[in-house]
Amino acid sequence: MILAIDTSCDETAAAIVSGRRVLSNVIYSQVLLHKKWGGVVPSIAKRAHEERIDWVIDETINKLKAKSQKLKIDYIAVTVGPGLAPALEIGIRKAKDLARNLNKKIIPVNHLEGHIYSPFVQNSKGNPKIDFSFPYLVLTVSGGHTSLVVFGDHLKYKVIGETIDDAAGEALDKAAKLLGLGYPGGPVIERLAKEVGNYDFYHFPRPMVSGDNLNFSFSGLKTSFYYFLKKMNGEQKIKKIRELSSSFQQAVFDTLIIKTEKAIKKTGINNLALVGGVSANLYLRKLFRQLAEKYQGQVLFPSFKYLTGDNAAMIGVVASFKAKKNLFVSDIKDLDRMPRMIL
Amino acid sequence: MKIIKLNDKNIIDETIKILNQGGLLVFPSDTVYGLLVDAQNEEAVKKLVAFKNRPPGKPISVFVDWDLLYDLVLVSEKQKDLLKNILPGPFTIVLKSKRKVCYLLESEKKTLGVRIPDYQPVNTLIKKIKKPVTATSANLSGKHPHYSIDSLLKQLPESKKRLIDLIIDAGKLPRNKPSTVVDLAEKKIRIIRHGDIVFSQVNKYISKSPTETKKIAAFVLKKISEKNSFVKPLIFIIEGEMGVGKTIFVKGIGECLGIDNIISPSFVIMYEYEIEKSKVKIQKSKVRKFIHLDLYNVEEKEEFDYLKIEDYLAPGNLLAIEWGEKVGEIFDMLKKKGKIIYIRMRHKDEKSRIIEVKS
Repeated sequence: MILAIDTSCDETAAAIVSGRRVLSNVIYSQVLLHKKWGGVVPSIAKRAHEERIDWVIDETINKLKAKSQKLKIDYIAVTVGPGLAPALEIGIRKAKDLARNLNKKIIPVNHLEGHIYSPFVQNSKGNPKIDFSFPYLVLTVSGGHTSLVVFGDHLKYKVIGETIDDAAGEALDKAAKLLGLGYPGGPVIERLAKEVGNYDFYHFPRPMVSGDNLNFSFSGLKTSFYYFLKKMNGEQKIKKIRELSSSFQQAVFDTLIIKTEKAIKKTGINNLALVGGVSANLYLRKLFRQLAEKYQGQVLFPSFKYLTGDNAAMIGVVASFKAKKNLFVSDIKDLDRMPRMIL
Repeated sequence: MKIIKLNDKNIIDETIKILNQGGLLVFPSDTVYGLLVDAQNEEAVKKLVAFKNRPPGKPISVFVDWDLLYDLVLVSEKQKDLLKNILPGPFTIVLKSKRKVCYLLESEKKTLGVRIPDYQPVNTLIKKIKKPVTATSANLSGKHPHYSIDSLLKQLPESKKRLIDLIIDAGKLPRNKPSTVVDLAEKKIRIIRHGDIVFSQVNKYISKSPTETKKIAAFVLKKISEKNSFVKPLIFIIEGEMGVGKTIFVKGIGECLGIDNIISPSFVIMYEYEIEKSKVKIQKSKVRKFIHLDLYNVEEKEEFDYLKIEDYLAPGNLLAIEWGEKVGEIFDMLKKKGKIIYIRMRHKDEKSRIIEVKS
């Protein structure tokens, strides 16, 4: 059994896993706390991590025991980056305490690895039973990340494209804010776009889609949206809010699809995975399914809804593969947060 | 025609020898490859004009150092302040000539373009030869400038190649545009040619693209680091509306510090980077970090406490704070412990931005 902790940004999360099976999982969602503030508020995020971490871990253990399972922790896994430094610190400090008290080794995990493994995470009964059929092309899209990764084998990743400025989820959140919508903006935009059939009314630019570069850039799209809105008055904006939401979302998703298709052609890999917070968007999933069909590949999404967001279950599953390869922290006191950790 | 590599230790002496003999040579710079002749030798200048097929009356600028600049052109006290602010840099400054160079280099209005590049080999050369040297781009009139010797030689017919006495080869130069030509001879500052960095007055730059915004950022950082000892950490406070290019500006600073993976920290509020291969000099100290903050999502005073910003305010560190409008609550602390540089960015229109610097 592995006890895993993730405090990379929004959520205080802990889980107990055995191999790919999640035996117990607790996420103390802070989205409600943040909603009021229109974003991830660091003080609240950190204070909440600090206040909740013990409770979250106790709750994770209690949930396991409630299933009349015996607790036998072999390793402690923790997210060391990327993320907000003071938030990461809370999780790492807790992992160190636990490791010392229980005399267990620590397995450091990159938060992005967690997302990449999220389609393979199973429930306590071992479902779903998908096998790994490497290689995969994984698109991670969330508020803080946008990357295309070749997942060639266990723990083997090659980043072939990533954002050079804003993340896709961040672009959606900022567009939502410009439209006067709440946080998180992605789900609101998804709903409004659906109401007008996800139609593209305004044809905003698709940034950096020409050439064979696989990197993403969303700051130019944000700027052109800003200028478009500037030409409208408040009333027009409200009247056209669905059309605007739909067109903006379409520009973001189109860019994601175009880049992924380029990556399929470049790598010859047709097994796709879409992970991260924005993978909860059903319309994006549909576009991804169509893309996979076009290339006769399979497509994977996080196996359960809670795995689209931040959680510790996926961190634990990565750690179980790392444990097989003895990838432990050699000296606990050297373990430090890596806010801009790369894969 | 002889070619010497830039890293050859004799290049300055060889160059001076050729220039003193009235020769023509190709020399690298902070922008493109240039054509050098002794600016006070009429025969040599005539050779240069013939080489470029340059129409008569079209002026040619000269490389100088500060002493030569004051010696060759008229500079008012006010202009001096401006020049001190931007030079050395990728600018050609046009001022009233004191008629001490070959007349063929001056404009019809008797002005002269002077240039102090941010490029050690040229500066060393001028310091040693103690006279102005022409600074025109190494290409035929009306043709594009060159970033490598190969590309230059391909364009030139044999008859032209024979006119070149020496080539200093620095390999492929970074693709910087030819210098911005600024006319200070008239009352109002006039930009005659747009290079990478354009300004409208002291500390007020105009950017027409993200690339230019990055170059302005790198330039501003370089200028500040020349004057700053980094005894206090440098803090860039960047203000401006959404989409104005704040993150792009920070990327420009980052690239100058050898950090090429900067992305928007909006979502997590703050990213920290290690400074390892900086292109600007930063005082050696134990911690050398670059902290990139985005206060877009920050609303409350106490939120700052949890970011532990104070811990980062150590010598040798650099902070860039986007949405600096919101820095209010910690401003006094930042001011006490750091050296603050304000960057105010404004939309001029959809493509161009005004970037103001205040320190």
